[in-house]
Amino acid sequence: MNPLRVAAVFRRIVAQFRRDPRSLALLFVAPLAIIALLGWVLGSQSAASARIAVVNESANAGAGTVVTRLQSALEGQPGITMVRSVADDSTARQMLKDKQLDLVVVLPADFSLQSRKIDVLTLGINPTGEYGALPAIQKALISAVADSSVGGALPTVERTTVYGSPNATQLDSLAPVVVGFFAYFFVFILTGISFLRERIGGTLERLLATPVSRAEIVLGYSLGFGFFATLQVAIVLAFVLGRLGIPALGPVPTFAIGLGVHTAGNPLLAYLLVLVLGLGAVSLGIFLSTFARTELQILQFIPIVIVPQGLLGGFFWPIEGLPNLLQPVARVLPVTYAIDGLRQVMIAGADLGSPQVLLDLGVLTAIAAVFVVLAAATIRREVA
Amino acid sequence: MTFAATPQPAVEATALRKDFGEIRAVDGIDMSLPPGRIYGLLGPNGSGKTTLIRLLMGLASATSGTVKVLGVEMPSRANLSRIGYMTQADGIYPELSVWENLTFFAALYGQTDKTQLHAALELVELDTRANTPAQNLSGGMRRRLSMACALAHHPTVIFLDEPTVGVDPALRVQFWEHFHRLAADGATLLVSSHVMDEADRCDELLFIRDGHVLAQGTSAELRRRAGTDNIETAFLWFATDLGAATGAGATSATSPKETSR
Repeated sequence: MNPLRVAAVFRRIVAQFRRDPRSLALLFVAPLAIIALLGWVLGSQSAASARIAVVNESANAGAGTVVTRLQSALEGQPGITMVRSVADDSTARQMLKDKQLDLVVVLPADFSLQSRKIDVLTLGINPTGEYGALPAIQKALISAVADSSVGGALPTVERTTVYGSPNATQLDSLAPVVVGFFAYFFVFILTGISFLRERIGGTLERLLATPVSRAEIVLGYSLGFGFFATLQVAIVLAFVLGRLGIPALGPVPTFAIGLGVHTAGNPLLAYLLVLVLGLGAVSLGIFLSTFARTELQILQFIPIVIVPQGLLGGFFWPIEGLPNLLQPVARVLPVTYAIDGLRQVMIAGADLGSPQVLLDLGVLTAIAAVFVVLAAATIRREVA
Repeated sequence: MTFAATPQPAVEATALRKDFGEIRAVDGIDMSLPPGRIYGLLGPNGSGKTTLIRLLMGLASATSGTVKVLGVEMPSRANLSRIGYMTQADGIYPELSVWENLTFFAALYGQTDKTQLHAALELVELDTRANTPAQNLSGGMRRRLSMACALAHHPTVIFLDEPTVGVDPALRVQFWEHFHRLAADGATLLVSSHVMDEADRCDELLFIRDGHVLAQGTSAELRRRAGTDNIETAFLWFATDLGAATGAGATSATSPKETSR
């Protein structure tokens, strides 16, 4: 191992990037733009307005009181517009179809203060979005029925969580995932394409005709792309965790840069996790570039390599919730461990003393090591 | 030019064979090239020239047979620092400047002497283009940069795979003048080409076809044996069965260097 040769490879990669503004933009601007968009969408979701009507189909004496109280309780909720003049269930259904209503609370014909069964009616086209107002309705319902003198003994329902707060937005739980995932994705794509160009451009042939060793090439690449991954993750983490208020200036209103997501644990530990993940992605990129002949074929690895990690890695669903057959698959994907580790650190506030975080770090390191060996093995692979 | 009684060959191959699946790209080549000369590797496209060069450098692993360069059995990573290789493709980084390309490859060879690097650039007349990105160079300039990258570390054995393809005639003359200076300084050059009119510029020729060395000798000698003045006709004569029979004898009989010029 000759440090001078490793340094030469490292310096060359940095120089190449400096002269390739588009790749730099992909590395630094694209993740920020996507995360900012995500923050914008998710952050404003609680304020999504819902038009709600309460319909009474019941002849029960107490039902009228419940309806009135429900309506006034709902009216106090942010983002909820009460539509009062809805006569019955069928009118409500029509108004849902006509997009005049988003959600209808129905006290059914068999409603009684004993059963307290109510129905919630939505259009059903986008169930997740349509039920966005449900927590507000539950809250209003509890207060409505509790206030009602006829209510009797009600179970008090209150949401509590061990970590974070019950008011945590989707953004808080997604932020760790997004940080890890983007680092992996961009580093993989850029290394893959960059090394593919070495292979098809004849420069790899030339590299191998020099005394440089495979280990020196892989190490130089890891340092070069690791350097940019380091910068990228630092910027992305700063953007996700920080929040810089910009005061109003002339016609520009007050706005904030950064998402201001709260991290319970040490940001440096989160950083370390993403870095190890990124180093694995460098070697994966080198390794998979063997199996591609064109840049387009590198992009074809996205649905094979990147998308499954997004689906199975705990991005949307917990691993434990996956079908039994898919669970072992998820457990060999590096992103799974990065997401778990990042959530442990950023949400649960785990530190290096946590066996869970140590396991995640250990597995990520092992996966990176395996791909370093695989990458090195493919470098002398003969090209006919 | 005189040599010691048994000069160590710069490049030596014994029963070298390379199969790509069913295809036999190099089929039992024996060669022994004494140092300080320019050897022309002549043959049509697909005759196995590039594969042979890659085998000689240890970039491809031989199916059987051995290769020694400067007395060291290949592949040997350490030995590569004494070897220069100009690939058929330019093999330079288009985003990097001329200077960055040169310093990168030189650093891998352990050559960090800036005076030497500047001299290498001057030699290929790119000294005024040092800061130009390689992608903005003309095809001929890229070829020259590629050559500078192959020679900046002063190799003793130099493999040049079709170095003059796409190079204009004036520059081609300069290339060859430079090759002869290198050989005069003791370097051994193996230059592949499918352009037969470059044959006369080499000290010695190796006719290659279908992974065989058809014949080896000076241009004049080979033409005389084939009974023609034209090197192309000579090649075709050796490529026939009759020529192959006579040529095969010549291949193994090259070690005693009767070919002084």
